[in-house]
Amino acid sequence: MYEKLIKIYPELANFNFASGVIIIQNDSDGRGDYIAKWEHPTLPEPTAEQLAATGA
Amino acid sequence: MTSLINASNSAGVIITSDTSGNLAIQSGGNTVATITATGANAGIQVASWAAPAFSYYQNGSTTSLPNVSFTKITFDASDFDTTGGMFTSSRFTPTIAGYYQISGAILTSATSGQYFSDIYKNGTAFKRGSMVVGGTSGCQSNVSALVYCNGSSDYIELYAYQNSGSTQTTATGTSFTYLQGVFVRSA
Repeated sequence: MYEKLIKIYPELANFNFASGVIIIQNDSDGRGDYIAKWEHPTLPEPTAEQLAATGA
Repeated sequence: MTSLINASNSAGVIITSDTSGNLAIQSGGNTVATITATGANAGIQVASWAAPAFSYYQNGSTTSLPNVSFTKITFDASDFDTTGGMFTSSRFTPTIAGYYQISGAILTSATSGQYFSDIYKNGTAFKRGSMVVGGTSGCQSNVSALVYCNGSSDYIELYAYQNSGSTQTTATGTSFTYLQGVFVRSA
């Protein structure tokens, strides 16, 4: 998921993902990473189509 | 000297009184609680307490920690579990409402990046543990919290986060990656 986000928003490369503003979560249930929370002040949450289009 | 209330196995309730001011509650002749009015032990002392307690750890199965992802830690072995089935799928869902002392840890052999563990309540972070940095001997993050659970829908899990830039893996062993909990008091 991180690689996909960086392809869409390269400016997030130095973002502090531990801050809780954006939360990537993995529930260890086989479904993989997903965006559990997105409260970035300027960047909108990527759509499923955008994420799929990254090919990452 | 102590007054006694004994739920006898053969004679029903037996009451034996004295003038000590102390009271013992017995079941089958065995003292399960005493009540003392004065002195250093004033109060209620419970001899046996069937409170839920558990201690789970990673024995043979590790958890992969993707970069900058909050990842649920899974467990495949226990030191003990007196919860009667409250701990399943690496999730503690107590059926007794009250306050629970929860503690956990994750250990990796990573040599770079920052790491921390979180106690999750109902799928979101509740309390954060120590933030540690990968090094030559790896690193271990510990977390502890007192958590209220409603006895029905509330549940507890352990999650971990790391930002080394690549996927890392937890280390197995009862003292390395674990989650423990015990019932402290009712609501």
